[in-house]
Amino acid sequence: MNLYLPIAEMSVNVLMFLGMGAAVGFLSGLFGVGGGFLMTPLLIFSGVPSAVAVGTEAAQIVATSVSGAIAQWRRKNVDVKLGVVLLTGGVLGSIVGVQLVRILRRLGQFDLFVSATYVTFLGIIGSLMLIESLNTWRKVAAGTAATGRKSGTHTWIHKLPLQMRFKRSKLSMSAIPPFLIGAFVGLLAAIMGVGGGFIMVPALIYLLRVPTNVVAGTSLFQIVFVTAATTLLHATFNRTVDVVLAGLLMVGGVVGAQFGASWGTRLRGEQFRFLLAALVLLVCLRMAYGLIAMPGELYSLTSVQG
Amino acid sequence: MTGRQSKWWRWQSWHVLWCAAVAVMFACVFAAAGYAQQTKRGRNVPITPPAAIVPPAIKAGEAVGPPRVAPEPDEVVQADVSTRNVAVTSSFTGTEIVVFGAVDNSRQPSPEAGVYDVVVVIEGVPSRVTVRKKGRVGGIWLNTDSQVFESVPSYYAIASTRPLDELAPEAVLIGYEIGFDHVRMTPAANRPRLPPADLKAFRESVIRLKQKDGLYVAESHGVAFIGRSLFRASISLPATVSVGPFETRVYLFRGQRLISQYNVRINLEREGLERFLHDSAFTYPFFYGLATVLLALASGLVASALFSKAAH
Repeated sequence: MNLYLPIAEMSVNVLMFLGMGAAVGFLSGLFGVGGGFLMTPLLIFSGVPSAVAVGTEAAQIVATSVSGAIAQWRRKNVDVKLGVVLLTGGVLGSIVGVQLVRILRRLGQFDLFVSATYVTFLGIIGSLMLIESLNTWRKVAAGTAATGRKSGTHTWIHKLPLQMRFKRSKLSMSAIPPFLIGAFVGLLAAIMGVGGGFIMVPALIYLLRVPTNVVAGTSLFQIVFVTAATTLLHATFNRTVDVVLAGLLMVGGVVGAQFGASWGTRLRGEQFRFLLAALVLLVCLRMAYGLIAMPGELYSLTSVQG
Repeated sequence: MTGRQSKWWRWQSWHVLWCAAVAVMFACVFAAAGYAQQTKRGRNVPITPPAAIVPPAIKAGEAVGPPRVAPEPDEVVQADVSTRNVAVTSSFTGTEIVVFGAVDNSRQPSPEAGVYDVVVVIEGVPSRVTVRKKGRVGGIWLNTDSQVFESVPSYYAIASTRPLDELAPEAVLIGYEIGFDHVRMTPAANRPRLPPADLKAFRESVIRLKQKDGLYVAESHGVAFIGRSLFRASISLPATVSVGPFETRVYLFRGQRLISQYNVRINLEREGLERFLHDSAFTYPFFYGLATVLLALASGLVASALFSKAAH
């Protein structure tokens, strides 16, 4: 069964895209990641224009993260005050990002920029995850328990001006670092079509020393707002949000995520983090190959219907 | 920690609403600013009217006789298409258009005689096309050169009874924009001029890429006479075709001379949900975006409600 996507302007197989949504949803449920960094490259590989893939994926992340955010909310794992600081920065970052996308598209360099950004970030994150999972794996095998992270310790980052108290996180620190982190993640969200949890979570844990129990909830909470704003901005400035495609991915993703989540509870973390890392590196390599390999066709067309 | 303070920060539903309001307001202000900017700039790029394709004397739907002097009754071609209105809906997967017609006062004894040659050209709405060429810079392939062509037909199908070079002199083919070599493609002036050889390569790449997508189609034996005067051609429109008025031009040749032309118009229109979505995305981009976000939120909420029910 084929469906014509009004913005991507292509006819696609419904089952294929539902399947893609389900597969990525399954993985994101399994690993507890957003899945944007897998879905956007998949969409690009399957022929969706880069800009449409990025804009549409933002909409899908709204859908997948909102249910997670609500679940965390019910367990009172959201630091709203911190979340608001993060998302204020995030929305501003997203505004900058969307404008950047607009400019790069006009220059004809957006595809390259997206690929390069993905190669960089997937390469870094994938390698770090691979190393971390192998270390944990080895430790578990050796029988030594992983040491807990120190929380509540202050670094110079916390001592900047504009001090604020974040009660839920039991932290008192400057509002500048979370604002900047939020802005950076918002920028990435707009350019890469991701939620940015893979940057946000480590940043909150290692840089800001936010207690682990509120990290996931707060991250999800701000992702909902930032990706919602990103979707709106992409739709307004770039007209690259395909609601039909987003709908297909949402349906597939939601179903896949439920299966993934129930599977995830039965399996050992570090082994699957290893698999996820391998997957991330695979996507990274595929993107890098696209940049380096001699393209079969040197020319490309962009039409403006006038 | 005082009781008053902990009460203040006990998370309640109105906190969510408050945060949502802040974020949405932020987004609204900037999106609205962008929208206003877009509106000021104007949404429509003026296009050259497709009528300009047709030489001045010839109007759509009107048979045109040979240029004067002919001893016997003149042959005149008339034609029509199987579908004048094509609806591009969500399930549009392309379609086939049959162009059929007849030669009035035909003098050929049989369909196989080959006295006449017919060329059918279907041309889609012109659009501005940016062609980019990749080059290798420091081991990475990136877009290095580009050329803009004004008013390139989004679709161009040509079918004829014989290969084009056999049935008419080059000058006629150029004059009537018949054949891939003569498709109208005006290089935009606002760039540093490319050397002619590069320009030619860019031009050829447009044809090649459009052919690959099935948007430019050529069939040198696509028109067949099925009677002394009756002929037909069938031309396929792929799913990716751009909508708008399509100009169908039927040319009749005898002995390398163009003796008659007939024009028909086909309309491709987006219809149903497909049309509604496309129009709203381009006319009211902000509200389209808002609706998409609401859809995403709603589907997330529904999923979470279903899931929590299933978990209990």
